[in-house]
Amino acid sequence: MAVLLQINDLTKYFGGLSAVVGLTMDVDEGELTGLIGPNGAGKTTVFNLITGLYPIDGGDIKYGGRTIIGLKPYQIAQRGISRTFQNIRLFGNLTVLENVKIAYHMHVNYGLGSALVHNTKYQVQEKKLVQKAWELLTVFNLENRADEIAGNLPYGQQRKLEIVRALATEPKLLLLDEPAAGMNLQETEQLKQLIHFIRERFGLTIFLIEHQMRVVMTICERVTVMDFGKKIAEGAPCDIQNDVKVCEAYLGKK
Amino acid sequence: MKKILPILLFILAYLLIQSLILLRVLNPYWQQIIQFAGLMAISALGLNLIYGYTGQFSLGHAAFYGIGAYTSALVTKSYPHGGLPVFIASLIAAVIVVAIVAFLIGMPILRLKSDYLGIATLGFGIIIKVLFDNADAVIPSLGGSRGMVGIPKYTNLTITFILFFIAIIVIRNFVYSSMGRACISVREDEIAAESIGINTTKYKTIGFVLGSVFAGVAGVLYAHLYTFLHPSNIDFLKSIDVLLIVVLGGLGSISGTIIAALGWTFLLEGLRVILPAEILDWRFVIYPLLLIMVMIMRPRGLWGGVEFNFLRPKEYGRPATDK
Repeated sequence: MAVLLQINDLTKYFGGLSAVVGLTMDVDEGELTGLIGPNGAGKTTVFNLITGLYPIDGGDIKYGGRTIIGLKPYQIAQRGISRTFQNIRLFGNLTVLENVKIAYHMHVNYGLGSALVHNTKYQVQEKKLVQKAWELLTVFNLENRADEIAGNLPYGQQRKLEIVRALATEPKLLLLDEPAAGMNLQETEQLKQLIHFIRERFGLTIFLIEHQMRVVMTICERVTVMDFGKKIAEGAPCDIQNDVKVCEAYLGKK
Repeated sequence: MKKILPILLFILAYLLIQSLILLRVLNPYWQQIIQFAGLMAISALGLNLIYGYTGQFSLGHAAFYGIGAYTSALVTKSYPHGGLPVFIASLIAAVIVVAIVAFLIGMPILRLKSDYLGIATLGFGIIIKVLFDNADAVIPSLGGSRGMVGIPKYTNLTITFILFFIAIIVIRNFVYSSMGRACISVREDEIAAESIGINTTKYKTIGFVLGSVFAGVAGVLYAHLYTFLHPSNIDFLKSIDVLLIVVLGGLGSISGTIIAALGWTFLLEGLRVILPAEILDWRFVIYPLLLIMVMIMRPRGLWGGVEFNFLRPKEYGRPATDK
């Protein structure tokens, strides 16, 4: 399998705190990879570095063989990396449909002129865009919520909508930051099915952060474990579970 | 039908005012107030685009209004008997100058957020005012702190109505386009907007420049309505007036901005008629009180999040629902 995302010796400091130290890992194309670790291990920082929110202090990130260091977050998104956030960042005052419509922004190519006069080019593209957005909402059973204000949706659906919005950009790599955070058992079960479904249907590579072990262990094919900014283990979920270092990180030394 | 009706209403309003003028019901003073209300609405629509839709807090709106006014006045004053073509040329010149200035000032300061951006735009507004206070040292005909006189009168009801109409259409079409949505996403959450591939810097700049151009156009109308310009017409209190209108009408509502702009102008002038001369100055107490009451009762503004139907273009591609 080809490597889609290659993280090499990635390092990031916040003042004197080393958030990520020499992290090296790959995400293969089509694979479902997990990044786990106790709170404060630097998982979200890794995502923020991949998506260009923070400048890196050392190392390299290659996506599809090309470095993405120094690109702006929107340029990275345009290359095909889309993400969700740990603390949901929806456009809360807009409707569900509008949230998805905005995410199709990069696939619209009419200029300011067309926008100001609403000519045929505008109409054709807007029509296609709404149809696509609607289709996507239908796939996720959100179409009957299309005109609701996104911020008023129940928590689980907000998480779902955020994933839908990320998918609307038509990415190749989807980064999910703690998708199961704040969910109960039943919702977590549904989420696992949803992630499977997304992967089958859209043929995506998914890279997710999680600290609920039961999610990672059942759906990820490969898991990387971090603690205090460093990689401490890597491998198939069943191997990870029995790794001494991982148990220490989570439960402490015997 | 839905498309034509508002246009018909607009033309009807125009004809009504014209006939009232012919019937001598509206004296020149009130004609002037009507046109002033129209240009305030244009300016407020611009600030609504900057603050209401793109979410960039600007206190420098009057500066762009002033740049538009002075630029066009300089052109028309230089060619005093040019007629309408010169006026149109001066309008275009003003739009270009305002757009360039807004772009150049927007690039560095739009990195700032909320209050800090407010302070920076306020500073810019003060610089522009001081600049015009002393402009006569460079170009004598700008008048400096003595004011600029001898500007030909070109603004009339027809021109105001046409530009007002164009302003409404432009802002409506812009807001309901991919670019408008990008601006709104910047207001809602910049980080999320970037994460879906939106160049937030670009759309902040587009929103800021377009909104400032509206202010410039309003300034052109103002200069050729009163035929006199003074730097005190463009100080930061004028920016506050426009800000009041936008917040009162409701951020992100075209309908609200229009109603608030017209309402605000007519309220101030109406109170002048209603109140007896000895308590005339109390109107500046009455109207702030009204503002406070509105803000307590409707914190999102009178029409926040509400839009007249005809200001929402048809949404193409939505499947027919059987409700």
